[in-house]
Amino acid sequence: MQNSILMLFLVLAALSALVFTFVFISSKKAGMSVQGLSNPLRKRFWFLLILFVVLGIFASVTIPRSPYFLFADENPSRVVHVAAMQFAFIMSEKAIDPKSPVGEASIELPANELVEFRVTSLDVNHGFAIYDQSNRLIAQTQAMPGYVNRLRWKFKEPGKYTILCLEFCGMAHQVMRSSFTVK
Amino acid sequence: MESIKLRKITSLWILIVLVLFIVNIVLGILMRLNQGEIIHQSPITFYANMTTHGLTQIGIWFVAGMAAVNYLLQRYVKTSYSANVVAMVLTVIGILMLWASTYIGKFHAGWTFLYPLPLKIMWAKWATPMFLGSILVMGVGWLTWSVSMMTQLLKKYPLTRALAWQHFKKNPSTQTPPFILISMITLIGIIACLLGAVLLLAMYSAEYFSNGTFVNDALLMKNLTFFFGHTIANEMLYLGLAVIYELFPEVGGRPKWKTTWYVALAWNCTLVFILTAFFHHLYMDFVQPVGFQIVGQIASYMASLPAASVTIFSVLVAVYRTPIKWSLTNLLFFIGVAGWVIGGLGAVIDVTITNNFVLHNTLWVPAHFHTYNALGNVLFSLAFFHWFFNPIYQGHP
Ligand code: HEM
Ligand SMILES: [Cu+2]
Repeated sequence: MQNSILMLFLVLAALSALVFTFVFISSKKAGMSVQGLSNPLRKRFWFLLILFVVLGIFASVTIPRSPYFLFADENPSRVVHVAAMQFAFIMSEKAIDPKSPVGEASIELPANELVEFRVTSLDVNHGFAIYDQSNRLIAQTQAMPGYVNRLRWKFKEPGKYTILCLEFCGMAHQVMRSSFTVK
Repeated sequence: MESIKLRKITSLWILIVLVLFIVNIVLGILMRLNQGEIIHQSPITFYANMTTHGLTQIGIWFVAGMAAVNYLLQRYVKTSYSANVVAMVLTVIGILMLWASTYIGKFHAGWTFLYPLPLKIMWAKWATPMFLGSILVMGVGWLTWSVSMMTQLLKKYPLTRALAWQHFKKNPSTQTPPFILISMITLIGIIACLLGAVLLLAMYSAEYFSNGTFVNDALLMKNLTFFFGHTIANEMLYLGLAVIYELFPEVGGRPKWKTTWYVALAWNCTLVFILTAFFHHLYMDFVQPVGFQIVGQIASYMASLPAASVTIFSVLVAVYRTPIKWSLTNLLFFIGVAGWVIGGLGAVIDVTITNNFVLHNTLWVPAHFHTYNALGNVLFSLAFFHWFFNPIYQGHP
């Protein structure tokens, strides 16, 4: 995912840089006479229409795949409760009592089955971002005090997954991490 | 007389911005060195630097845009010198309060100071009110400045004319200069987001002084925070665009740009999209109503349409196969537009919710906004500074 996003960006950025360079050179070469662009209003209209259609397609293809709708019509076979706090994650398959929060020492999840993470925070806002074995971010949600965000995911590959906090939450934010295994 | 005073205060603004910019670059480089493990700062020092750097950068490039728009606005309407002075005094006091909070008090909640982090005291107790106070002081100064500019503008151009609505009819009887239109649209957005900041600070103080009897709603506070933070960071770029519409044709020795129906339409649409795009900062808060999430993606997409098809297209058309007197001023404007486009592409990619799922709060985000700020917005302001101090262009306004 990240690689194709980066490629898309690099191609578009290079194209834009080319257009600007080309237009700049055309001005340098123009000499004394204004040749300009013929029929600019029509070209402007076409440019707008193409952009509108491209973005329209992007929106209609991507919006239905937003994480809010992921696996919405299935029932999760496992539920993991997550309570984030400065600067650790507490995770448990049982509901966590905010007054005396205790988690399980290790969490093991099945591969290819639907897992639901119910993520909240006991103090400030945190992030809950899942990284696979090659340290690639695959899914995330926020941990917000007073709210529970439900993140549904199916892990395809067994192995160790790392959790990092992705919302600045204070002086030890950078070491706030945890992990679980998928079997 | 008036214009000499305005020149002096604008020069002073430029001086303040450039000095603080250098300080900020040093802070930025220190952060990068620390991330690259070439130097080793304590996390608190790092985050205090980050907070100072972020808020000061937003502040200085915002006031740089405001000072430029104020200076050029004087060509059309009489602007208030005292409002300009009030803004400057309060900005300087605000920055000093910010530094006191981050460097003496060790406050380090980031420039987004996401609720409730500022209230979880991990620094000197007084540093939280000092930091929030610094935002209040700057916000009041900027609100005074923008409201004063807007009222002066409205005295000469009634609202519908300032918004160029007469251009939607065939053969409009009067022209609204593009500079007036864009300034008006931008000032409305700025005033709206600064009022949002006032509300945000009021909710903070209600909790702060209630001794635990009143607790805010974290989701509401996050919406308010980004309504303010996203919008102000976005509007400062639009201040730069107003300056481009005014100066780009002029310094190139080309006829002034005119408002047409599509320019008027584009900017009026921009106002709507710019005030609703901030929802994209809450994509990963799944409890936010899904309608807002979708509005966030669509408004952010739509905001790029008038920008691309009107402003960027116009800049390209103005240059394409057209002899232009190139100088550092319009070259900086031109490169700035290119940087803005490239940073904007990064933004449109990230604003797609499915992409944001793997990009939210990663390095992609600072990468995109540093591109359009450092290679876009900053260049627009530097172009204005160069124009302002260039003897060839003396005598303006
Ligand atoms: C000119 C050289 C600059 C350098 C070397 C630099 C460097 C940095 C670095 C290293 C960070 C921390 C990023 C992270 O790891 O999350 C940062 C954050 C930031 N920068 Fe810059 N920056 C520069 C210019 C700018 C400009 C021109 C602006 C805006 C006009 C800007 C606005 C910000 C903001 C808003 C943040 C976020 C602070 C926060 O999270 O609280 N920077 N910068
Ligand atoms: Cu955290």
